[in-house]
Amino acid sequence: MSGIFSISSTIKCDVLIIGAGGAGLRCAAEILEKRPGTDIVAVTKVANPQKSHTQTAQGGMAAVDPKDPVDKPVYHMFDTWKGSDCSADQNVIKKIVESGWEQTVWMENHGMHLSRDENGRVSKRTFGGHTLGFGETSAFRCVFEADRTGKGIMDNVWGEALKGGTSFINQAIATELLFTGDRCTGAVIFREKEGEFVVVLAKATVLATGGDGQIFKVTTNCRQNTGDGLAIILQSGLPVMDPEAVQFHPTGIVGPGILASETLRSVGGILRNKGLEPFMERYAPKMKELAPRDLVARAIETEVREGRGILNPDHNIEHVWIDLRHLSDYIHEVQIPEVSSFFKKFINLDPKKDLCPVRPSNHYQMGGIPTNEFGEIQKNSESLISGLFAVGECASASFHGFNRLGTNSLLELVTMGKVTGEKVVNCLDAEQPGRPKNAGEKTFSLFSGFMKQRGRDNLGQIREEMRILMTEKVGVFRTEEGISQALETLKELKERADKAALSSNSLIMNQDLIQRWELNNLLVVSMVTAQGALNRRESRGGHFREDFPERKDQFNHHTLAYMTEFGDVKLGERPIDMSIYEEKGEHYEKFGMIERKY
Amino acid sequence: MDGGMVMETNYKLTLKIERYDPDTKESWVQDYQLEAGRILRFTDLFRKINNELDPTLAWNSSCEHAQCGTCAVMVNGRPLLACELLVENAVVQFGTTVFEIAPITVAPVVRDLIVDLEQAYERVNQAKPYIIKPVENFNKGNEYQISPRDLERYVDATRCINCFCCATACLSSQKTFLGPNAVLASIVRLMDPREEAKKERLKILYSEKGIYRCHTSKACSFVCPKEIDVAHFIALAKEGRFESEEGD
Repeated sequence: MSGIFSISSTIKCDVLIIGAGGAGLRCAAEILEKRPGTDIVAVTKVANPQKSHTQTAQGGMAAVDPKDPVDKPVYHMFDTWKGSDCSADQNVIKKIVESGWEQTVWMENHGMHLSRDENGRVSKRTFGGHTLGFGETSAFRCVFEADRTGKGIMDNVWGEALKGGTSFINQAIATELLFTGDRCTGAVIFREKEGEFVVVLAKATVLATGGDGQIFKVTTNCRQNTGDGLAIILQSGLPVMDPEAVQFHPTGIVGPGILASETLRSVGGILRNKGLEPFMERYAPKMKELAPRDLVARAIETEVREGRGILNPDHNIEHVWIDLRHLSDYIHEVQIPEVSSFFKKFINLDPKKDLCPVRPSNHYQMGGIPTNEFGEIQKNSESLISGLFAVGECASASFHGFNRLGTNSLLELVTMGKVTGEKVVNCLDAEQPGRPKNAGEKTFSLFSGFMKQRGRDNLGQIREEMRILMTEKVGVFRTEEGISQALETLKELKERADKAALSSNSLIMNQDLIQRWELNNLLVVSMVTAQGALNRRESRGGHFREDFPERKDQFNHHTLAYMTEFGDVKLGERPIDMSIYEEKGEHYEKFGMIERKY
Repeated sequence: MDGGMVMETNYKLTLKIERYDPDTKESWVQDYQLEAGRILRFTDLFRKINNELDPTLAWNSSCEHAQCGTCAVMVNGRPLLACELLVENAVVQFGTTVFEIAPITVAPVVRDLIVDLEQAYERVNQAKPYIIKPVENFNKGNEYQISPRDLERYVDATRCINCFCCATACLSSQKTFLGPNAVLASIVRLMDPREEAKKERLKILYSEKGIYRCHTSKACSFVCPKEIDVAHFIALAKEGRFESEEGD
C-alpha cells in the first residue's frame, strides 16, 4: 500500500525551521541578521505564520529595565526560580533574565508597537508572581502591546523573516525527522494543499512546533497545538522532558476556554464564588488574585468541588465569577479592551455590568524537548544530537520548571530563539547532507496504515473522549487511581483509532487525514504525560497529586520520558541545574530548595 | 445572582454550505440540519458537523478567538469570522435560522471552505509588512521615544490580523488593487516615526495597484471584525496626512 506514495521533490537549504511561530521566526531573524542571505525554509501547519499560537498571547513580556531604580535581574531570577517550584535550571534562568531588556529593545527597534508611557518610553505593568526584594512587593516588570503582546511579537518576527528572504511552506506538517548517524539532516514534509511529500535537507533543523494543549478538553491553545514536535521526537527514539508539568490557566472563559488574561486580575478584577465571596483572601492572604497561576487554578477548582461554583447550562460546565464591574471605563476601554470584549463576543455578557464566568483552562506545557541553554537537543542526560535544535513551547531548557510565571513565556521564546539562532549559525559551514536512502519510509508506512483501515469508529469521537479523559484524570488534580485508569483507557483509545477508517483517502487538503495524524500525536503525548504524572509521587508547581500533596526532595530532578512503542514508556532523569546557588554569590541562599509560599 | 444567565435555548438550524472537491473538481451546495445552543459559535457548528454528520467537510481555523483571522467565511453574503459568530446573534442579525455559507473570495478555493491564503497574502507581502529601513536611533541600545499621542494616531491600524474580510467586501477588483488590509500594512509604517524608507512606501501606495484603486465605499470599515476604521486610514493616505500635525 505504501507503494502508492512517493517523494515528489527534494529541497536543499541551510536551515529548516519546523513551526513558524514567535520562537521559530525569532530564530530565523537572528540567523538572517548574523548571516544575511542564509537559505532558510520555514514550515508551518497554519495558513500563514501570522496565524500561529504566539499571536494570541495577551499580557506581556517580563524584562528588567536597567534604568529602573528599584528592580534588579536577581529579583526576576528569584521569582522565576520560586515560581518554578525549584525545578527550573538556574543557568537558563540567569541567561534569559539577563537578556530581557536587550530583547525588548531589539523588538522595539525592529518595529514592535509597544505601549508607551507619557515620556514616550516603553510602559510597564505588574503581573502575578513578579516581585521586588524577593517577594516584598509587586514589580512593574512587564512590557506590553496593549493586550495583544503576542501579536506584536509575531508580526515583528514574521516581518523580519520575510524581509530577510525566508522561504515559507505554509499549511504543511513534518512527519519524520531524517538522520545520518547521530546527525539530523532534515525532515519529510507533507504539503496539505498539494497533497505532496517533499524531503527538505538542511545543515541545521530547528523544531519550534509549539504546545500540546489539545490533549485537554478545555484549553486556551489553538486548534493546531497537538504536540507534533514531541511526538516526532519520541518517534525518533529521543526523550521528552517533564511532560507532566502542565499549566492550567486559572481563568479560561466558559465554555470556549479562551484565555481571560491575568491582566484582568492585575488591573483589579476580583474572583468570587456562588455566594459572591472574594475567596482568594482565604488561599493567598498576601497576593490574593495575583498569586501564581497554579495556586489560583486550584483555589477555583476547590471552590467548585466544595459546592461553591455556578453551573452554566449551555456548556454544562461549573465555574466561578470574575468581577470587573467596579473598574473604571478607562480600564475597560484602554487597558483591557480586547479581553473585556471577549466576554461580550463569545458569551454575550457585558463585563461592565455582568459577572463573568471563568474556570481553569489548560494553558501551557512547561516540559518539552530537552535542550541545553543553547537550544541544542539532548539524546540522553549526557549527550547531544548534532544539527537538531528546539525552541519555544515545544522545548524545555528549562526556564519554567514546573510552573511558568505569566509574561515569562514570551521572554523565553524570543531569547531562546535568538540564542539558538546564534548557535545555528555555527552549523552553516558544514557540508550539505545527502538524502538518506530510507527517507519517507516511516511516513509512508504510517499514512498507508491510516488509509487501509475499514472500521466504523468515529475519529472525532475518539479525540473528544481522550480530551475529556485527560481533563478529568490528568488535569488540575491528579491521583494514582485516576492516572492509572487514564493509562488503560488511552491504550484502548489507541486501539480503536488504529482500526478506524478515514472518511476519504484523498491526499489533497484532507482534514480527516491530518486530524488522524494529529490524533496519533495527541495519544502519544497524553501517554507520556500520564506516565510522567504517575511516576512523580509528589506535588510540584502545576503537577498536583492529591494523594501526595507535598513537594519531596527525592523528586528534585527533571523527568526524561522515551517511548518508541505506544504504551511502553521508559523513564530517566536529568538533574536540575543549581549553578546560582552553588556559585555562592550574593543572595545565593534565595536559590536553594526554598518553600513556595505566597 | 446565578439566575442571570440560566437560559436554556436550542435553535434548529440549516447550514447550506458550498462544497468543492479538488479531486473531481465538482462544486455543490450541501444542506446540514443541526440543533445548537445559543452561545455556540459557527466554528463549533462546523466541528459538530465533522463529529456527528460529515467528517469530510473541510474548514479552516486556528486560535478560534478572533485573533488570527483564519476562519473567515461568507455567511449570507457577509464576510466574517466564524469563531465569533454566536448562534443567537446570527439568528437576530440575519433574521433567519437558514445560513448560506461560502468561502471568502480573495483566492482560489482549495477544498470546501478553505481558500489558498498563501496567494492572498502575496498582496500583503508586496506592501512590505515590516520596517524597510529603520531611521538612525540616536539613543543606541534604547527604545525610540514615541509619544502616546503619536502612537494613538496609527495604533488602531496595527491591530489588523489579515483575515481578508475587508478585501472580500471591497468593491475594487482584487486583480488590480492590493486590497485594504495590504495597504493598511504600508500606511502603518508611513505613520511610524521609525521608518526611514518613506519614499519607497509612497511608491507602493501610489502605484498601479495602490490606493487610487479604492472607490471609498467604506465596505472595509463596515465589515472589519476588529472594528478598525480602515477607510479612515486610506483617506489619510489619499491626502498624504501621515505625520503628526500641529494641533492635531
